[in-house]
Amino acid sequence: MQVEFELLMPKTLSEALTMLAPAAERGLADSSTPVMPIAGGTNVIPDLRDGRLRPAVLMDVSALDVLRGIRRENDLPGGLPGGLPGGRHGGGFIIIGGGTTIATLLTDPLIAQHAAALRQAAAVFANPLVRNRATVAGNLADASPAADTAPPLLVLDAEVELTSRSGTRWAPVEAFMVGVRKTVRRPAELITAIRFPVPPANSASAFHKVGLRKADAISVLSVAVLVECDADGLCHKARIALGSVAPTPIRARAAEDRLQGQVLTPALIEAAARLAAEAARPIDDLRGSAVYRQRVVGVVTRRLLTAVVDQARKVSSQFFGESPTPEEQSHATQSHHTQS
Amino acid sequence: MTYQTVGRSKPRVDAPAKVTGKALYPGDITYPDMLHMATLFAGRPHARVLAIDTAAAAAAPGVVAVFTAKDVPVNEYGMQRPDRPVLCGPGSAKAGGDVARFVGDQVALVVAETEAQARAALKLIKVEWEDLPLVLDPEAAMQPGAYQLHPDCPDNVTCSYHIRSGDVEAALTEADVVVEGVYLTPVQEHVYLQPEAGVAYIDAAGRVTVEVAGQWVHEDRKEIAHALDIPVDQVRVIYPAIGGAFGGREDMSVQITLALVAWRLAQRGIRRPVKTIWSRAESIIGHGKRHAMKLWARWGARQDGTLVAAEVKVIADGGAYCYTSNKVLGNTTLTCTGPYYIPNVSVDTYAVYTNHVPGAAFRGFGGPQGHFEAEGQMDKLAEALGIDPVELRLKNVLTDATPLPTGQPIPGGVGLTQTIIAAAQAAGWTQDADGHWHKPADGKWQMANDDTQYPIPNTQCPIKRGLGFACGFKNVGFSFGYQENSHARIELRGGTEIEEATLYIAGADVGQGHHTAMAQIAAETLGAPFERVKVVASDTATMQNAGSASASRLTYMGGNAVRGAAAQALVAWRNEDRPAVGDFKYLAPKTTTIDHETGQGRPNFAYGYVAQAVRVAVDIETGQVRIEQFISADDVGQAVNPQQVVGQIEGGVVQAVGYALLEDFRTDQGKVLTDKLSTYLIPTVLDIPEQLASIIVDVPDPNGPYGARGMGEMPYLPVAPAVAAAVYDAVGVRFDDFPLTAERVWRGLREAAGSAAGPVSE
Ligand SMILES: Cc1cc2nc3c(=O)[nH]c(=O)nc-3n(C[C@H](O)[C@H](O)[C@H](O)COP(=O)(O)OP(=O)(O)OC[C@H]3O[C@@H](n4cnc5c(N)ncnc54)[C@H](O)[C@@H]3O)c2cc1C
Repeated sequence: MQVEFELLMPKTLSEALTMLAPAAERGLADSSTPVMPIAGGTNVIPDLRDGRLRPAVLMDVSALDVLRGIRRENDLPGGLPGGLPGGRHGGGFIIIGGGTTIATLLTDPLIAQHAAALRQAAAVFANPLVRNRATVAGNLADASPAADTAPPLLVLDAEVELTSRSGTRWAPVEAFMVGVRKTVRRPAELITAIRFPVPPANSASAFHKVGLRKADAISVLSVAVLVECDADGLCHKARIALGSVAPTPIRARAAEDRLQGQVLTPALIEAAARLAAEAARPIDDLRGSAVYRQRVVGVVTRRLLTAVVDQARKVSSQFFGESPTPEEQSHATQSHHTQS
Repeated sequence: MTYQTVGRSKPRVDAPAKVTGKALYPGDITYPDMLHMATLFAGRPHARVLAIDTAAAAAAPGVVAVFTAKDVPVNEYGMQRPDRPVLCGPGSAKAGGDVARFVGDQVALVVAETEAQARAALKLIKVEWEDLPLVLDPEAAMQPGAYQLHPDCPDNVTCSYHIRSGDVEAALTEADVVVEGVYLTPVQEHVYLQPEAGVAYIDAAGRVTVEVAGQWVHEDRKEIAHALDIPVDQVRVIYPAIGGAFGGREDMSVQITLALVAWRLAQRGIRRPVKTIWSRAESIIGHGKRHAMKLWARWGARQDGTLVAAEVKVIADGGAYCYTSNKVLGNTTLTCTGPYYIPNVSVDTYAVYTNHVPGAAFRGFGGPQGHFEAEGQMDKLAEALGIDPVELRLKNVLTDATPLPTGQPIPGGVGLTQTIIAAAQAAGWTQDADGHWHKPADGKWQMANDDTQYPIPNTQCPIKRGLGFACGFKNVGFSFGYQENSHARIELRGGTEIEEATLYIAGADVGQGHHTAMAQIAAETLGAPFERVKVVASDTATMQNAGSASASRLTYMGGNAVRGAAAQALVAWRNEDRPAVGDFKYLAPKTTTIDHETGQGRPNFAYGYVAQAVRVAVDIETGQVRIEQFISADDVGQAVNPQQVVGQIEGGVVQAVGYALLEDFRTDQGKVLTDKLSTYLIPTVLDIPEQLASIIVDVPDPNGPYGARGMGEMPYLPVAPAVAAAVYDAVGVRFDDFPLTAERVWRGLREAAGSAAGPVSE
């Protein structure tokens, strides 16, 4: 299918934001159609070919180096934004440029060290070719219920940085996706970064996806979990997120609450897994039935929780014996990683 | 036997051009001043075209011409029966030519300056449709009063076969053990890498010429000539590189439409090449599929394991047109009682017209379906009798001395026993001093439980492991009375020694390495180095009929033709002819049709044999099945090129693993829901067996070239039943239908748990 569109290729972020700005703001007649960003194009190009998208103007953001790379910052530029839970930011933040590719998530040492769930999602994401092009911003902006980076980012309490000419705002990932392929991003905004607080060392996270095959498979269902606990298994924090079982990736809050402040026994984990399954609101589609999704989401949640509780307890007993202080968990160095 | 060239893994003659990108596949070919054709598909499973208005399309930018049914001189085609219109619409030269019987029927052709213009103009064609009742269930379609899709085929039965030998009822009554089953096998899509494409033009000699990927140039030429109502010698078909076929290119796709368009344009004084490429979605709806079948079986055995009777009934969904349903069903008829001697047999098989995408040729031609039932029955019998499944097979397997249910002994050189033993031993089976076979003890073959992708600790995974075994056989060639034949020509040039041998053979290299194998057989026969043989292939203008690249026949048939031509050329060479020419048509041993009521006859002249063992791991909480080890032993008679044989074994197994575990072709009211590669999933490299051992067995075929027998389909045949047996061994639940997707297995386990104390607690 041949499609015609205008292609803009901004060289700087400000140029890009100007191109995105509403026509009136740019002093143009307001008849012009919104400009659609394209990064890796792994959603946009198939949609163009199938005729699901008919944008008049595409703006290629893949040349914007500032959107790429993963770094850790102890002090947030511009201070703490609203909406963040207080008290535990001593470890700083991991900041992922919106244009960072999935392949980079897979090889980045900060992600490997602090966000196992995200790395595992990257490992089963599409195929190597797509991973080299596909970006994190594109995955979130596309807002598929099956977006594989979303459950890990949800359990990491991640936020999306939305930048327009008039400024920057942060939206928690959970609030960012509001429906199937619907987000709160305004047409003039670019996703410039995704950030999450560095999880304390006595925590562990994991992701698992059930697909119809091992590569290049859209999730039938997916689960990410994060648990922070002490050596005795007392849970300080629990996060459970589910993909492909609701119009957007969701958190299973009742299941999380069941674990919070409790000693994580197999029976408790089983109970939480059941609550997670109950949180799922799946549909029947070509990939799987609602009933299969609902049951297996519980199975996978149980397995992941068991695995991460085990890991978190081991780390706790090895290094701390009790809950770590922020100074202990922060490995002090502020490292910068930039994609070459 | 050891030979100079045969039996060695010579490099593929087509490899350098393919790996350097020089080889052109049909979609890569461009000519100056070329036009583009786009096809309007019906998109409706059953509807009459009342009217077509092409005026707006014809007037659209860049459009050169629009063609419809009234432009087709003889508006019918079909390899086995001309029951399909080339284009559906009013003004058709044949009654019923105005009806579309499946979504992939074709209605109009637009020719334009660019592909985009041609495709854009398709949308401007106005078709007035009258929807007709849908015929979707083959069993219902056979009932009196059902809507008749083809008036000349009562009860919508495309074709049927029947075998009666001995007294099945009496034998089943007397049998110590009787097992029954109803088996369902799914549709499968070929997913060759290159979608249908081609270029047509009028060549310098004035012939309507089509460069296209197919499986049999001479058959394509015949079908084109028939539809255009011109002599065959005014049509030329050339195959450039072919991007896979697997049976899916046996029937016509773009051949006739491209030829029609180039020919009609020339009549209007427009002599420009015309190209077309189908999209993947067009390819998936536009070409035939592996037949879905339902098989009912009742088999009986004596306590000692001797098979005494088999009763089988099969209904195949033939889809909208015949295609090769009669050939496919013929093979199901022969394979549905397995490669065993059974004295009392009753078989009834039917292929039935429906409004689904036609059932067509696909690697194994009905054999995989027959084997799923036959080998499923054997697994059930082994369990019921308490006899090891390998031992039960060895006890009943066909040998040179035993007759087929069709009455005649199976042609000689039967390597089944050796093949079964090879596969069983490789999997760890042992035979004790009393001659009994024993399955390897559990645990011996335990493999790593972890999957690096999945962060689930081993102890948490309720993984159950199982081992399955199955074997199979299939005829080589079409036969059933058709006189199989193949032609080759060789020209030798040089002085005292052969400097160049040019081999002309029309056989299609669909990726299996046919041209290389033929060059090896020529070199062997000539006693010349392999490198001096030059292959010129697949052009009806310069060579005669070699037959189809299907039914595992081309090495056998083409190989005998090449061997004959080479031997003749050598005689001429010794007579000092320069060039020395050999021109030879090989005729295979005679076969007969099988009697319509009793099935008695000699349907085939050669068979190939296979046995397989498979180890699976089943996650009983998610239903996911993983193949950990696969062993395939294949009696190929003589491997002409062992590397290519292994390639065929690996490819066949992987393709059948997709069939067994994954590939799930879905339709709704005749419409295809899985018309993309993102919804119709085939295995990726991560989904194929973790270990795949290919064992070459070589019991020579008495008539095959250098003892070679056909083998391309055989590794496919027992895969699905072997996997199902392994899953049963692992979880204790039988699956008589597939693909064994995670959800199907999960449901099966839960249903079993519901009825008894099964393995799933929740
Ligand atoms: C073969 C294949 C396999 C796939 N497998 C998976 C899989 O396993 N898991 C999975 O989750 N997804 C998968 N996908 C979907 C896709 O690859 C991902 O969603 C990917 O992350 C999209 O990123 P992109 O950079 O290619 O986005 P694009 O296609 O470029 O854009 C997607 C959307 O994001 C918007 N966008 C892009 N960048 C920005 C930005 N900086 N700011 C604001 N909006 C932006 C675009 O306007 C568009 O709406 C697959 C796709 C293909 C083709």
